[in-house]
Amino acid sequence: MTILATEGLTRRFPRVTALDQLTVTVGPGVTGLVGANGAGKSTLIKILLGLLEPSAGRAQVLGMDTATKGAEIRRIVGYMPEHDCLPPDLSATEFTVHMAQMSGLPRTAARERAADVLRHVGLYEERYRAMGGYSTGMKQRVKLAQALVHDPRLVLLDEPTNGLDPQGRDEMLALIRRIGSEFGISVLVTSHLLGELERVCDHVIVIDGGKLLRSSAIGEFTQQTQTVTVEVEEGQDALAARLGELGETVTPHGRMLLVHVRAPETFDVLRDAVCELDLCLVRLEQGRQRIEDVFREPVNV
Amino acid sequence: MSEPTGVIHDIGYRHYDGARLGRGHATAALAVHSLRGIFGLGRTARSKIIPFVLVGVMLLPAVVSIAIMALIKQEGMRYTEYAVIMQAVLAIFLASQSPYAVAPDLRFRVLPLYLSRPVTLWDYVGAKLAAMTAAMFLLLAVPLTVLFVGEVVIDLPGDTHTVEYLTSMAGAAGYALLLACLGIAVASFTPRRGLGVASVIALYLLASAVSTVLFGVLESMGDDAAAAWAWLINPFFVVDAAVHVGIFGATPASNVIYPPGAGSLVAGVIMIALIGLSVTALIARYRKAASR
Repeated sequence: MTILATEGLTRRFPRVTALDQLTVTVGPGVTGLVGANGAGKSTLIKILLGLLEPSAGRAQVLGMDTATKGAEIRRIVGYMPEHDCLPPDLSATEFTVHMAQMSGLPRTAARERAADVLRHVGLYEERYRAMGGYSTGMKQRVKLAQALVHDPRLVLLDEPTNGLDPQGRDEMLALIRRIGSEFGISVLVTSHLLGELERVCDHVIVIDGGKLLRSSAIGEFTQQTQTVTVEVEEGQDALAARLGELGETVTPHGRMLLVHVRAPETFDVLRDAVCELDLCLVRLEQGRQRIEDVFREPVNV
Repeated sequence: MSEPTGVIHDIGYRHYDGARLGRGHATAALAVHSLRGIFGLGRTARSKIIPFVLVGVMLLPAVVSIAIMALIKQEGMRYTEYAVIMQAVLAIFLASQSPYAVAPDLRFRVLPLYLSRPVTLWDYVGAKLAAMTAAMFLLLAVPLTVLFVGEVVIDLPGDTHTVEYLTSMAGAAGYALLLACLGIAVASFTPRRGLGVASVIALYLLASAVSTVLFGVLESMGDDAAAAWAWLINPFFVVDAAVHVGIFGATPASNVIYPPGAGSLVAGVIMIALIGLSVTALIARYRKAASR
């Protein structure tokens, strides 16, 4: 089943080409759309909602053409924008009920759905307070709630983890995972961090400068991200040298070392090297692949 | 998709399979939401103060007129004069509340959310205009109706002014439509509420001052015919001339004399042109806002 598909999608603005011959297909589940700022993510979302006309090419969402069926698409698709979009003088409940009605739900149904959805995103007593006093985390939850309130078949989430602290980020990612699996709503989520999408997505699409860089299932990506980040208090150079001698590939990255995992033994080698050099190990973690890493690697995968 | 089985601690996510109504429902919901916002209903107590104080002020002449009718048995205020006499209050309400209807959506960027729903730009603009028109109509129609009810209850000797009342209600609709279009159009150009308030009130003061000064100058020069045209610079006299005098043949408000002959027709044309211009400006404004 295809949730959305684009074919040679191009959008040119007077100064820049935001999308350049983009052809992708997205299936059910959670799909990550990764790209640096200005890669064309938001432009793609606007086209998918039928709010912007492509200069060339076509796009289909849930089997409907975006150029002709915009209103029908927007009826069963939810959208969470990247920017702030909440009037500060309304409470989360009032706002979510109103947005449900704007999607065509009758008033009583809108009330029920709003209460349900706000509970699901984790807003309880505070939902009766004016949103002006909310923290960024709470605002992000309301933004997500208004995108889900009409029980869409697909939600487009534009940078939902923006501005959140690490804990809030984890909670938001867990919520996105739940939307995709438990709620049975397909998700297209954008981010400029591949590492965080890796944890929740079934499929990842990487675009840069409006061009498709890669589109593949998450399994293929994790194979690519076999690096370990090592941070030691002192003696980083000594460790790098030792690992080099032992035949590992090491790249210094600021205060950290990125060690390529060629086989499970690499972890043992690393552990032993740290012990032998008697270093103070601060951090050892599975490499979070960042968007730049994808650009560095050959695209022929 | 499979429903979770055997889970009892959480009822889980429930899908919605009820009715999904069309654009009309959504537009109506937006209009009602905006109308409530204009009067501060469902908002903080502070945002109710200005609209309700102004509603109170608008009711004062009606109450005083009823008192005059009841106590000294004399006729009170004429229905068709009501809007012209209270024009400053109407203008203040328009200036203070029309930015409330449009500015927050621009400032807090709620507009993209509306546009991600089935409604179109036209629906959005239509709903906002409908809400402001309804608000202005209520502001004017409620005191007029109170006055009429008072007149019927007191039952002075002589005819009740039913025709005059109905004429003034038609006029109220005309005032509401023209003022709402002007107010919303001007207010929509800035996301800052304060600036919106200032712009609308400045526009009203300018129109009213220019109209009065021009009338004075022309009259002192002895050019009464030209002076009469000067009234039509003020939108309040435009509606009075077009609807009350033009369509229903009522006497002009207070001591005003409108240009004879084509005067009412021209007033009608001015009214329609101003409404058309406002709507065009609004659509152009929102096309630009939406493409951001």
